[in-house]
Amino acid sequence: MAKSGTIKPDDFSEEISAQRLKSSLWYTIITVLILSCFLVPLQDGNLSFMFSLMMWVTLATGINFIAGFTGYMPFGYVAFYGIGTYVTAILVKVLGVSEYLAVPAAGLSGILLALLFAPTLRLNGIFFAIVSLSLAVVCQRLMSLLPEEITGGSHGLNLGVATDRTHGYYAMLIIMFVALVSASWLGQSRLGKALKAIRDDPDAADAMGIHVSRVRLYAWIMSAFFAALAGGAQAWFTGALDPITAFDVLITAKTVIYAMAGGLGTIIGPVVGTVTLVWIDEIVWQQFPVLNNFLLGLIITLLILFMPRGVVGSLMQHFPHLRKYIM
Amino acid sequence: MNTILLLNGLVGGVIFGAIYALIGCSLNVLCGVLRVVNFAHGEFIIAGSFLSYVLLTLFGLHPILSLPIVTIAFFLIGFGLYYLLIPRLAKSDEPETSSFLLMFGVSLMMIAAMMWIFEADIRAVEFSFDPINVSLLVIQDAYGEGRDGRVIVPTARLVALGINALLIIVLTYFLYRTLTGKAIRAAIMNREAIQIVGINIHSLSASAFGLAAALAGITGVVLAFVVPSIDPNGGQDISLIGFIIIVLGGLGHPVGALIAGILFGLVEQIATVFLPQAAAQMLGFIILITVIFVRPQGLMGRMTLR
Amino acid sequence: MIPKIVLQLKGLNKSFGGLLAVKNVDMLVNESSISGLIGINGAGKTTLMNCISGIYRADSGSLDIMGVSCLNWSPHDIARLGVGRTFQIPRIFKRINLIDNVMVPALNDNTDNKTLYERATECLDKVKLYDLRHNNAEELSGGQQKLLELARIMMFNPRIILLDEPFAGVNPTLCRLMIERIKELKEQGKSFLLVSHDLTSIYQLSDHIYVLNQGQVISEGNVDYVRNDPEVIEAYLGNA
Repeated sequence: MAKSGTIKPDDFSEEISAQRLKSSLWYTIITVLILSCFLVPLQDGNLSFMFSLMMWVTLATGINFIAGFTGYMPFGYVAFYGIGTYVTAILVKVLGVSEYLAVPAAGLSGILLALLFAPTLRLNGIFFAIVSLSLAVVCQRLMSLLPEEITGGSHGLNLGVATDRTHGYYAMLIIMFVALVSASWLGQSRLGKALKAIRDDPDAADAMGIHVSRVRLYAWIMSAFFAALAGGAQAWFTGALDPITAFDVLITAKTVIYAMAGGLGTIIGPVVGTVTLVWIDEIVWQQFPVLNNFLLGLIITLLILFMPRGVVGSLMQHFPHLRKYIM
Repeated sequence: MNTILLLNGLVGGVIFGAIYALIGCSLNVLCGVLRVVNFAHGEFIIAGSFLSYVLLTLFGLHPILSLPIVTIAFFLIGFGLYYLLIPRLAKSDEPETSSFLLMFGVSLMMIAAMMWIFEADIRAVEFSFDPINVSLLVIQDAYGEGRDGRVIVPTARLVALGINALLIIVLTYFLYRTLTGKAIRAAIMNREAIQIVGINIHSLSASAFGLAAALAGITGVVLAFVVPSIDPNGGQDISLIGFIIIVLGGLGHPVGALIAGILFGLVEQIATVFLPQAAAQMLGFIILITVIFVRPQGLMGRMTLR
Repeated sequence: MIPKIVLQLKGLNKSFGGLLAVKNVDMLVNESSISGLIGINGAGKTTLMNCISGIYRADSGSLDIMGVSCLNWSPHDIARLGVGRTFQIPRIFKRINLIDNVMVPALNDNTDNKTLYERATECLDKVKLYDLRHNNAEELSGGQQKLLELARIMMFNPRIILLDEPFAGVNPTLCRLMIERIKELKEQGKSFLLVSHDLTSIYQLSDHIYVLNQGQVISEGNVDYVRNDPEVIEAYLGNA
């Protein structure tokens, strides 16, 4: 039993400085990340690799809003990404809209799709996962069924030389920056606290006056928004897409793994997890192309069995004093 | 002419439906007893097809004769896999969602392993029955005066249906009449209570995992009778169909899965007759989504969401 | 002076399939009072509580809280009317720290962070959990989790408090602390509906007691009356 404590008068200011310490560490990390991504095109670096790194960071941060903060595992997360790529490509190729408008429009389409899928949030646990996965498959089939003049059918669309890779690259950088800033805001806001309460016990949060379905919808929309933006930037950068790769379940899987490896529910976790694993993935890919997916599967299995809260989450669980530094 | 097509669709529907029923049933044993949603189920089935393919090409063993070998091998694999994976899962924050991810990892590994061994090619299990086709019935004047139409079914598919029907009968008998079967059903209803009654939940669960794996293996062999070729990448589609079946039939409700499987097979096959292929494939998912919103406990299930 | 009624149930029914769990229950809770609700296992106590707090949908009847008819409202709307509750098995937010746990019911309030934080630490201090404020809730013992729920209710500051088995599994020292806090809150004008197996503490705290058996109120009145009611004794001991 804890002995009767006395409240220190400056308790709140101590708390504020603790918050500052947390955020300064976090902002250092994202500044380094953003600066290094910013400099790559200027120095003729590996543009494709850095682009995919930024894309995965954005996706992992995005899925963290719904999976980490509310405990819902959207196995069809790729649906939002896919819709983002398609909306961008159709706007650019078919309607001749500038990419600078097409990508934000893709983000909006992600929000619309999230609202359309919002009723699925009534389902819990495994039902939600299965339905979400099915919805992604429905989207994929729908894209290949639509008239070829619009979606290009099962062959997809090719934007060709119409797009500028470097511009797409910087668009992704801006999207990642906004995603990371949103994440840090959420980590400290009351909305974030409400979401975490819902994740741990939705019924109790409801009984405490939290409007569970509305608050959860905010997280869902944020999640979808960033995935759609990332998809849009991807279409801009690569200039080609087809239904199979745009709605590939592996995209959801990798997103989940990267976010989970770092630690869902923390702000730093998904970033750390993604940067580490994308580097490892790059190295492994070059060495053992055949075994790549096998190792990916092995990493998921080991993570789930031995470190379900990820690297950052486990550190925080076992070393309580680290909680002071980690957001 | 439409009658012929419709009848063909019906026969196909029953044949595929029986396979789907079996997939749903084994998946549901896992879901019910272990609260594990097996994302790798499709890969287990494909692995079953490949094992019978290997036995046929290396030893010339007829697929029907390979059934007992596949059954025993898969039961042991499932039994071992349980102890390797599942007990640790209980410690995580959300065991159900974690199981989904865990089995996804297993499925990635299995696909990669199969691709490595068999390469990305699709393979056909080449064997034949005599006669190759059976004409089930003749419809007079189907294509107009004097041009009769026939409903023709490959013998292999009929054999597959026979094996399936037999399995379903044995399985139902096992679940409802034998002691182990009753224990498994009891564990589906209440995992905690059954431990108090003195049943070792671990060995029961391991047996259930073994049973489900063995059923998946058999389904794989049977599947090779029905489809022209096997593809190491085809597992995911099978798993998805399995999920549709168990949600339709009710999570953890083996008989519900049987009915849902046959219904789904009929709808899908008849839809392929009248709709373009992609639309027919989508139909299944649309049914799934509708059912989940209208009747989340499934067509037969009584399980609540909470 | 006639006491003000804050919670009133009339003819409430709730069934699960064929089982009628709550049958035609009438109940009154007055302002600044503690009403006890007792009954053997399966009598329908928790079901009744879940109907009041909106977690279950009742089949028929009426529910008035602070004069507002609110049967089958959603839990958060009931909560915003001023009803707080604890759960039989403590339902804490396990992966966030104690301060954030306690803050949850006040997240919608229009107060600045400093006040919110100070109120949260005060509530924790009242249940002697202040020293553990930076720990995650999952690291608490079962009894401490019950205390955390009580602190959360104090932060919530509702007019009506529903307590479901608050003393189950709590050691005598903590139990005395909880009773002290409950009495204090009652003095401040809060009304309680208290469900418990522990007759000693119920008899000690309650102003009015309802006895539930097989979903029906079989007896009600003050402590002395209920204690000596032959029907209550029959219900508790007759089936034993």
